[in-house]
Amino acid sequence: MSLFGAERIGCPEVLASIVFIIEDAIEQVEHPHEVRDHIDLCPNCSRQLDHERLTHTFLVDALRRACVEKAPESLYESIHNQLVGAGSATEVVTTFSMTEISIEIDEFGNVEHREVQIEETHVQHINFDDGLPGGKI
Amino acid sequence: MTSKDLVLESASDRTIRFERDALVFMDQLYAAALRYTRNPEDARDLVQDTYMKAFTSFHQFEEGTNLRAWLYRVLTTTFINSYRKKQRQPLIANNELEDWQISQAQSHTSDLGKSAEVEALENLPDSDIKNALQELPEEFCMAVYLADVEGFSYKEIAEIVGIPAGTVMSRLHRGRKLLREKLADYARELGYTTDAKGENS
Repeated sequence: MSLFGAERIGCPEVLASIVFIIEDAIEQVEHPHEVRDHIDLCPNCSRQLDHERLTHTFLVDALRRACVEKAPESLYESIHNQLVGAGSATEVVTTFSMTEISIEIDEFGNVEHREVQIEETHVQHINFDDGLPGGKI
Repeated sequence: MTSKDLVLESASDRTIRFERDALVFMDQLYAAALRYTRNPEDARDLVQDTYMKAFTSFHQFEEGTNLRAWLYRVLTTTFINSYRKKQRQPLIANNELEDWQISQAQSHTSDLGKSAEVEALENLPDSDIKNALQELPEEFCMAVYLADVEGFSYKEIAEIVGIPAGTVMSRLHRGRKLLREKLADYARELGYTTDAKGENS
């Protein structure tokens, strides 16, 4: 009996891998090489894969054909208006600035002088419509 | 654009940039929102909320990365965090992550069923297709929609929905299977003979 990878796994495992093949992610399954070998050698699985690919193509076509709703014109208007309102919100820029100076004199009289400048700028948008500053999602 | 430039960008410039780059996706986001919320009123509100949240966080968005995927992430997160709570949609069973690869009864489809299924898919009216998609559990509907209508990869869907890639695969597999079964039901009502559920060959 030969020991092709194809024989180490059964049809059910191969059929369950088809979604990975369709998503172009065969490397994500546990035995990618065995799955490939099995499909090459098993006419039933090979036909099934062709069928699944074809059906998926038709399913995608059907879904894309059906799901094509356009947003109402008025939605564009109200988003635009709200954005313009939000865009003109007050921008509060806070700048913190600090200088740290340290002078050290050792026992021999050597003077060491260090200066560290620390600056931080914080921008906050306040929209008086809802009184909430912008934050993370 | 560096982060320094972003700080210097004026508020009105940012609005213009946002409108130019983000509003082109409004129809797509609206269609997705319709699938999520299942009604035009909520879909409208969800899209508006999404754009406002996205605009508020726009300074955090890195130009050059995928704006469309980012907007879908905001849409999906907003839906999950607020709209779903209001709607009380049935959720899928907790055992979603059980070993679906093994537990699924897998068999080959009969040759007769194949051409009939494809023929039915070509001829079903759009309303049946939308209804069948709508009848899927929410998580399945979302995964199938993002992959097959919007063309996002499973990795992008994992980011958008905030779930592991393996879970995306499981939802795609089960969602498409269920969708095909439902479409086969609709097709049978229209007089097509299909066998999407599989038959041992």
